[in-house]
Amino acid sequence: MNQINPKHFRILAIAPSTRGFGFAVLEGQEMLVDWGVKTVKGDKNAQSLKKVEEMIAHYQPGVLVLEDASAKNSRRSPRIRKLSQQIIKMAVTRKVSVKLFSRDQVMKTFFADGQGTKHALAEIIAKRFPEELGSRLPPKRKAWMSEDSRMNIFDAVALVLILRLKDLHRAN
Amino acid sequence: MAQLPNYLRSNRKRLALSQDEVAFLLGTQSGAKVCRYERFTREPGLETALAFEVIFQRSASELFGGLYQKVEQEVMVRAQALAERTDRQKPNRQTAHKRQILTNIANKVLN
Repeated sequence: MNQINPKHFRILAIAPSTRGFGFAVLEGQEMLVDWGVKTVKGDKNAQSLKKVEEMIAHYQPGVLVLEDASAKNSRRSPRIRKLSQQIIKMAVTRKVSVKLFSRDQVMKTFFADGQGTKHALAEIIAKRFPEELGSRLPPKRKAWMSEDSRMNIFDAVALVLILRLKDLHRAN
Repeated sequence: MAQLPNYLRSNRKRLALSQDEVAFLLGTQSGAKVCRYERFTREPGLETALAFEVIFQRSASELFGGLYQKVEQEVMVRAQALAERTDRQKPNRQTAHKRQILTNIANKVLN
């Protein structure tokens, strides 16, 4: 039987972006409890941190998952790197353990050759959660279009799924 | 593994309904009340809980998972106490049957 680490029963993933962050909360084996995008204005890091803190208080996750912004090949901006550090620090003070996965780890989990686009990843996730995320999948963007903010939801869901898949792999 | 008090938000989002639309279905005036339910600051009454069951097509025990767990634990403790009280009564077929039912509730065995 698939046993989930009790500490990993509820997982919160945060995917920071230029306009705020995408988030996903997964409970049990594969139940998406909440997902969405939070936009912030003004001091983006302070506002994002405040909102993440509220989400931790509300959902009381056992683990917080983030993209590893300090990974070797990471191309995240200095602001996002700083925000990631602030979120990690805040989570630790709230006694929530933190797991980091690099973009390479995400891609290697979902694509056999580790090569794939963000949109292809979003399509895989939308197929996995058709009721919840099927309608949230933005159309494939053209080269001249900026990225749809909803893509951050799929980044966050990818992060929670990696941790869950690792848990299940360990249990089997 | 404690569940959340309720899963109203995930079910509402799953159906792509707004809080105002759910409020309309519930027969209340604004989505503010729905927001309070979703933020666990207010518990709905029985009629509203049943309305949620109809809207989301999920049982109330599923929608209010954490609340159900809490109530279940409390009932189990009380069933154990009542079973012990039944032991002190004069034994006959009826008390034996009652004892069995209460033990089943206390041990979470489905009848």
